Amino acid sequence: MLDSVCAPDSCFSFRKPRALFRVFAVMIALAGSTFPSPAQTPLRVAAAADLEPLLPPILEQFQQATGIHAEATFQASAALATQIQNGAPFDLFLSADLGYPKRLIDAGVADAAGTADSTTPIIYGRGTLVLWTRKDSHLPAPSLDLLRGPELKRLAIANPDRAPYGRAAVAALTSLKLYDSLKPRLVTAENIAQAAQFVDSGNADAGLISLTSALTPRLSAAGTYFLIPRELYPPIEQGAVIVSKTSQRPAAHKLLDFLLSSPIQAQLAKAGLTPVK
Amino acid sequence: MDWQAFALTLKLAATTTAILIAVAVPLAGWLVLGHSRWRGAVEAVAALPLVLPPTVLGFFLLVLLGPRTMVGRFIAALLGHPLAFSFSGLVVGSVIYSLPFAVQPLVAGFAAVETAYVDAARLLGAGPVRMVLSLLVPLARRSVLAAAILSFLHTVGEFGVVLMLGGDIPGATRTVSIVLYNQVENFDYTAAAQTSAVLFALSVLALGAIYAARPGGARRG
Repeated sequence: MLDSVCAPDSCFSFRKPRALFRVFAVMIALAGSTFPSPAQTPLRVAAAADLEPLLPPILEQFQQATGIHAEATFQASAALATQIQNGAPFDLFLSADLGYPKRLIDAGVADAAGTADSTTPIIYGRGTLVLWTRKDSHLPAPSLDLLRGPELKRLAIANPDRAPYGRAAVAALTSLKLYDSLKPRLVTAENIAQAAQFVDSGNADAGLISLTSALTPRLSAAGTYFLIPRELYPPIEQGAVIVSKTSQRPAAHKLLDFLLSSPIQAQLAKAGLTPVK
Repeated sequence: MDWQAFALTLKLAATTTAILIAVAVPLAGWLVLGHSRWRGAVEAVAALPLVLPPTVLGFFLLVLLGPRTMVGRFIAALLGHPLAFSFSGLVVGSVIYSLPFAVQPLVAGFAAVETAYVDAARLLGAGPVRMVLSLLVPLARRSVLAAAILSFLHTVGEFGVVLMLGGDIPGATRTVSIVLYNQVENFDYTAAAQTSAVLFALSVLALGAIYAARPGGARRG
């Protein structure tokens, strides 16, 4: 049947039913194959996207110090919070704000047990908002005056409804009384990394992004940043919570203590997260 | 309800479908009738948008169409504005993203046309344009319709490319899928359910109307 409806050169191997069967057999074999998995379950960390540049080396040091292997998944804090609320198998949640961890505590799926106050997320760092431009842009170096000037055609920010840095960006622009005039020129990115990509690819003139992004090798080579004065936006406090149904609570606590230890806090500071102490 | 986003999405899907059919019909005709040794390679490349994660495809387009490449600068000079964060940018992204959904059904449909007709037309001296327009398209009209419907629906549901290339600007690049995603991500599940319900209802109505009026009725044309 297949033979008769096909032009001679258009159905190649499928002309013979046996060939078609072989293709299916390969597909089924692929679908059924299993791949070796590591013997021990790693500590699974759900981490905010702004931690992506700095967390992996810290997790490596953690493994060297304690022998515990931790794996991080990086996404927007909001997406991770939704996933955890719906039973995602994470052990520890490092958010980019306090709101999402609090929401999880209120929902009864996460806690800060073992600390002074088990209903408050553990703050492990404070974020800093910067104005970033490419070095080869036609614009003057980033400053508050750049935000006020007419030469700024497109300003990238992260989504203010959920990305903590997006919220801080809108707060800063509002404090500067620039939000209404800049609103038509804003392009909204899903998260802070995408806001940086908008600027890095040259499509937006400048972006309000995280210091952690601006300090990555790629962006620090390509552009320059200006620290937005801290009094212009509420502090971007980043909180951690333990997912309550974890089977690896002691390991999760060890990683939290490790994050809060002086050498690691100093390392965070170098990467753009202000230490909490 | 964000009706502006609905109107924008329909406009985007209609524009994309029109362009895709105009591009994919000749392409599929060449793939089926042609004898070039490059056909396999071209068909493979035309299927590639299926392989890339849409946000990654969007990212590549963002870079390619941005002012840091020759292509991007040329387009910006032509249009007077960069392509990213504009409706025309979304059209370009959607055409590339949905290309396989137009090409695949057309190639399958054209290839299923009886070889005898194609040979007869060729013997009677029909050129490739005439063969495609007067023979393959009418005989494979169900496939043309399928290609148009798939392209349209795929563009309506498109998300990753719009997210990367759009910049979420109301009236210009904020489509229904972006509105829906924002509602879900902001934990506004009621609004998300309402938007989805309207989207479903509109799609079922539109598809029902098309299938009821399609050429050749319910049987194979």
